[in-house]
Amino acid sequence: MQIKVNGQPVEIFAGARVEDALRKFSRDEWRQVKSGRKSVRDGHGHVVGLDGELSGGEELVIAAVAAAEPRS
Amino acid sequence: MSRGRLSARPALLLFAAAVAAVAALAGQGAPAESHVVIFHNNDVHGKIDNFAKVAAILEAERKSGADVFYLSAGDNFTGDPVIDRADPPGEPMIEILGRLHLDLLSLGNHEFDYGLDAVRKLVSRFPTTSANIQPEPGVLPGLKPYVVLTGKSGVKLVVFGIIQIEPGNGLPSTHPDKVKGLRFTEPIAAALSLRKLRGEGQVFIGLTHIGHDQDVVLAKQMPELDVIIGGHSHTRIDAPELVNGVLITQAGSDNQFLGRIDLTVRNGKVAAKTSRLIDLSKAKDEDADLKAMIAKFHEDPAMARVVARSPIEITGKNALGSLMTDAICKVFNLDVAFQNNGGIRVNKLPLAITYHDLYTLDPFGNQVVRLEMTADEIRGLIRASCERRREIDLQVSGLTYIVRENGTQRIQEIELRGLNGAPLAEDKTYKVGLSSYVASSYRFAHKEPGRTVGITSVEALIMYLERRPDLGAYAEATRALYVKPPAPQAD
Repeated sequence: MQIKVNGQPVEIFAGARVEDALRKFSRDEWRQVKSGRKSVRDGHGHVVGLDGELSGGEELVIAAVAAAEPRS
Repeated sequence: MSRGRLSARPALLLFAAAVAAVAALAGQGAPAESHVVIFHNNDVHGKIDNFAKVAAILEAERKSGADVFYLSAGDNFTGDPVIDRADPPGEPMIEILGRLHLDLLSLGNHEFDYGLDAVRKLVSRFPTTSANIQPEPGVLPGLKPYVVLTGKSGVKLVVFGIIQIEPGNGLPSTHPDKVKGLRFTEPIAAALSLRKLRGEGQVFIGLTHIGHDQDVVLAKQMPELDVIIGGHSHTRIDAPELVNGVLITQAGSDNQFLGRIDLTVRNGKVAAKTSRLIDLSKAKDEDADLKAMIAKFHEDPAMARVVARSPIEITGKNALGSLMTDAICKVFNLDVAFQNNGGIRVNKLPLAITYHDLYTLDPFGNQVVRLEMTADEIRGLIRASCERRREIDLQVSGLTYIVRENGTQRIQEIELRGLNGAPLAEDKTYKVGLSSYVASSYRFAHKEPGRTVGITSVEALIMYLERRPDLGAYAEATRALYVKPPAPQAD
């Protein structure tokens, strides 16, 4: 299935989770999200967990965590 | 608990009594106005620690004058050994949800991970809904396409569940063997077929397990709904989100948050609605009894149970990796499997191998991914795995391989041989099992994108060990070699 991470298409196996898509996109970005320095949001702007299950066509956006934003 | 909340209660109770009296005088089943509070969670995945806080919150609200409900949008099971390895699996979760007086459960894909017996227990214990599951007769008695919940004021909530299905196989994301005897239909279509239920109550709710993206699609097509309470995508919807007039919410995952929806129902319909998430890490009050119960579940000796006994201490990455990859091959009937060294977290297994040992060996919860790969694609994976460190990184089952470097520290050749020692056939496609970590983070070309099999690598290992394989065979198990040319002799 294909999803988009930061606007770029990522081809990933069916049943993948957010974490898998981030790793496929960039291991460095994945590590930053895992450590809490960055967060990942869906195409609607909501924070999603690394274990979140994906379907084809979804969008993810990686962004730096704002100072006041709680880490998930 | 604050004094303010205590002092507010008598007033609330009086208000509720007055509202109920007005409704009774009007001769209607529902009151002229009521305050409905719906607590909800989703994708708890076996994380039980915060349930003592959830209990305290529910208890406090249930004493108020409001109509209070507690709903689950699925995936309570799978993700923590305390629940996964309980005897029977899932039982502690069922007991806790019972203590919390769960009003309704919408089945998630991971509710099926322990098999249909565990699902039957859920369905027999709690009102359970899923409109797009059609069980064969007798397979899941009690599962309802929708349920009508009635509050103490008489207010009626019509709630239906729907569960995600994979586009490829039309099944939820779990192992296909776990859902035998069940037929799944397209979830949005199933929901739309229930539009007529709008008139059956004052509040119409989709309690879904299809992911937030699909919740938005549903809201756009079904404005009859008042609320969608979602799950599956682990989305944290902090502020109320209205799509086409439908309030959509979801409470993240792992029991970190409890969702709260407040509805004002006036003259038979929802007049006001809002939602928020309660951060359970900041909640102070806990139900002491439930806290003690949870502590007891953590002390369960299940993790110390012996899964298998070995005549040798299986030692080193080669032997442990061979065992782990054999498990994937045998359990899923695959030709080849790979396991990265970084995912092998101990150096030795004891003679009496417990669940705890296995979860320590393979603690990451990686799914097994099945791909179809050619011999050349397999070479590409091996090349990607050992280019950085110039050493073997992938343990293997189903074949052996030798990586040969040239004199410039680059890989010159990767020789693949089958179990019979003959070169691997180049014109064949192989069924290959990888952990989701390897499948997603190693850079290798492959035409077929693959699919998770709905089981983690550690679960595959447990299933393999339960078959009592000859563990003595793992005394010597080197299946991959990295050969560097001899260093040039100094003059």
